Amino acid sequence: MKKGIYMIGLIITLASCNKATETATSNNTPTSSITVNNLAADTIIGLTPQGIPFGSGKYSFYSLETNKKITTADSATTKWDIGFRGTSIIINGGNSGPGLGGGFVFVGLYNNLSAVPADSTFKVDNAPSSFAIPAGSNRGWFVYDAINNLVNPIPGRVLMIRTASGKYAKLEILNYYKGGVTPPASASDAIKLSEQRYYTFRYTYQPNGSKNF
Amino acid sequence: MKRLLGMVVVFSCCTLTAQVSDTLLGMVNEVVVTATKTERKLSNVAVPVTIINQKKIQQAGSVRLNDILQEQTGIYMTNGFGTGVQMQGLNPDYTLILIDGEPLIGRTAGVLDLNRITVGNIKQIEIVKGPSSSLYGSEAMAGVINIITDKPNRNTLNLSARYGSYNTSDINLNGSIRKNKLAYQGFLNNYATDGFSIRPNSVERSIAPIKRFTMQHNLNYYLSDKTNASLNFRINDEKIINIIAVTNNGIVTTSNGIEKNKDHNTTFQLAHRFNSHIKNTSRVYATRYESLQELVTSNGAPYTDYFKQQFGRIENQTDFIINDLLEVNTGVGYIKESANSTRYDKSENTKTNQIGYAFLQTEWKPFTQLTVIAGARFDNNELYAAAFSPKLAVQYKPSSAFNLKASIGRGFKAPDFRQLYLNFTNTAAGGYSVFGTVEAQKIITQLNSIGQIASLENDFYRLGELQPEFSTGINFGGSFNPNKKIQLTFNLFRNNIENLIDNRLVAFRTGGSQIFSYLNLKNAYTEGLETDVQFQFSNTFNINAGYQFLLSGDKDEIKKIEEGKVFTRDENGFSRLMQKSEYVGLPNRSKHMGNLKLQYEKNNAFANIRFIYRSKWAVTDTDGNGLFNTNDAFAKGFVQINTAIGKTIAKKLNLQIGVNNLLNYTDINNLPNMPGRIFYTTITYQFIQKNKK
Repeated sequence: MKKGIYMIGLIITLASCNKATETATSNNTPTSSITVNNLAADTIIGLTPQGIPFGSGKYSFYSLETNKKITTADSATTKWDIGFRGTSIIINGGNSGPGLGGGFVFVGLYNNLSAVPADSTFKVDNAPSSFAIPAGSNRGWFVYDAINNLVNPIPGRVLMIRTASGKYAKLEILNYYKGGVTPPASASDAIKLSEQRYYTFRYTYQPNGSKNF
Repeated sequence: MKRLLGMVVVFSCCTLTAQVSDTLLGMVNEVVVTATKTERKLSNVAVPVTIINQKKIQQAGSVRLNDILQEQTGIYMTNGFGTGVQMQGLNPDYTLILIDGEPLIGRTAGVLDLNRITVGNIKQIEIVKGPSSSLYGSEAMAGVINIITDKPNRNTLNLSARYGSYNTSDINLNGSIRKNKLAYQGFLNNYATDGFSIRPNSVERSIAPIKRFTMQHNLNYYLSDKTNASLNFRINDEKIINIIAVTNNGIVTTSNGIEKNKDHNTTFQLAHRFNSHIKNTSRVYATRYESLQELVTSNGAPYTDYFKQQFGRIENQTDFIINDLLEVNTGVGYIKESANSTRYDKSENTKTNQIGYAFLQTEWKPFTQLTVIAGARFDNNELYAAAFSPKLAVQYKPSSAFNLKASIGRGFKAPDFRQLYLNFTNTAAGGYSVFGTVEAQKIITQLNSIGQIASLENDFYRLGELQPEFSTGINFGGSFNPNKKIQLTFNLFRNNIENLIDNRLVAFRTGGSQIFSYLNLKNAYTEGLETDVQFQFSNTFNINAGYQFLLSGDKDEIKKIEEGKVFTRDENGFSRLMQKSEYVGLPNRSKHMGNLKLQYEKNNAFANIRFIYRSKWAVTDTDGNGLFNTNDAFAKGFVQINTAIGKTIAKKLNLQIGVNNLLNYTDINNLPNMPGRIFYTTITYQFIQKNKK
């Protein structure tokens, strides 16, 4: 059965590859920067008796290639490139999915990044011990402000992504709150909890398989 | 009798009988002990010193120590873990607080809550700025605040009662008696408040209801005209009621928290003058601080947090007056400290530390205009590296109107028990743990061996013996008083702080929760200018104005900015490089602080109005780049105005009324401890007041 899913995955990969090749023939230049607003990522539905917030536990999957949200039903496919759940980010590859995906966090400016740096290595997910995009505060893309109970994306962090089909993209997370606006430090905990886990990010995708943006 | 009174001046190191005159000229003659550990005229001290006398404290309507300190130039009172003092831009951890020359203990997260100290029996507050570890050892990095309490020198009995907003009452009974060779001073203070909440509709109080009781007894025995013994005993006892409301899934759970804090201080001092050249002072000091917090919730077992700290010290100081030009002060001492806490591994396990120290100070006057003071102290600690603290100060008086001072010194702060032994796991907020450095390696290695550690961070391998935090402070200043009406003082300062201890993530547990410990990490600096102007318009009217300009920064952060490794966000939320000009330095520090006091005094009546200004300060790193820059959240600058009027009737009865925070300025988020406008009235009656002959 597992093999079956993998086979289906392969077929889809091939199919999407074809599609990508088609678009690539007509357009060899990378997409201009696309901004995705308010992508809900396992929003909080309650608190445990210990006061720890929880959601439904499901990832929100996204395809950078098609710029579309992918349903949970397609989690075992290569339709998606990146998945978000709370502050955790997975990439379709390794033990997270059947794709060829990988990634790492680059320190620098999104606009200045014209190509994937030559000496870089893409990591793949190996849940739960390690992820291509490291989990936890101040290790990957965000820092948790424990005093004010707020999650802030660290400026100057670019997620370099190899997609499920082996293409390259650069992605910058802009905000973690609803409407792309972080609540003020003085906001109530109720607001801070209900408005978090909404991603705003921008990305550039190179459909021709090259590492240039 | 007359002779005995003379002895008080000579022998008791902390008894200051100098007449404090109201005029500016008189202020120059004030006597200070803290700066050199010997009595000196304020005008002859080579380091920056501020003196606040009893009259100023009373006329400001102060009740607790922080009330009066907040009106002084360059001093800011911090919130969080009580009210602490920020001096020359350094955190409360780095200012040593003394009562009659002996240190107060019982800090929470480095902060000694100054609300614990009543001003009812304070004779004088001496503030020495700049590192003073060459005399006082640990904690005296930013400076020293020494509270000199009333000492028996005549027969007195006073009762004072104050009542004000939020049902706040403060009652003082203070009396002294002298008979032949024996003198006694007794003091009682009772303070109570209902507290207040500046958040509307909140059951939680910004300042919780508090009851505090302080008593102090001082006994002096003049064995001979050369020998004096004194015994001092102080108790402070407080009880705080906290109501804490926790909302969980919309259900509000209310808990009742009771916090009881107690401190005891006992000092015995024996002073003997062998001859006109040699004086010896021996002191034994013991103090204990105990804090018990209980949180009783309707559903579940009560939560208890207990902390006890004890500190004992024996010190012997010998002063040699070799000739008119040269004086040498030398001392040796031994300290034993211990602490127990439910936040350490086993509360019954007492943690101890022993310190042996010696200091030497030489004061040399090569010619009348010049004084040179050189001193050093060596502290040998059982638990961490030794500290050597030298200091050099020079004073030059080219004329009677000018006075120039320069000093350079090294200060240190020893790692505290919390940084060494804390063993705390917060089960509520994600289950993170904080371990002191002594515990961290042991606990984490043990957890790792049973497979409870998911990953060790780089900082884990840097854990080792904590070093004391060090600073080098340079102060250059002076004063100018061209005539009896004007006095201008200024001081430029720079503090280079090394080895600052901070917490860092050292490991992850298998469940993903974080483990933190303490490391010597940061290098920071503070620098600025402080200036005060006093102007006596007439016999009845005078003005005091003070200002501090302050800059601060973390050297490693500045290096990262210069290397182009720090980013912030533009108006679209996109990352961009942060410029060095956007860096604001350390948080919770205002670049500009000022105060202005107008005082009118005539025929036993006075009126004053005091303005306190603080410019904006950084509070939150909202752009997530790990440091504070102009793109972050700031608290607004503000002006607080306090005013008081008073009258003395028939030399016995004092009446005073006052308003604090006249503008009713509040900031719910950044100044939760600051109430709106408050009113108070004070009545003081002197039953007995026998003046010295």
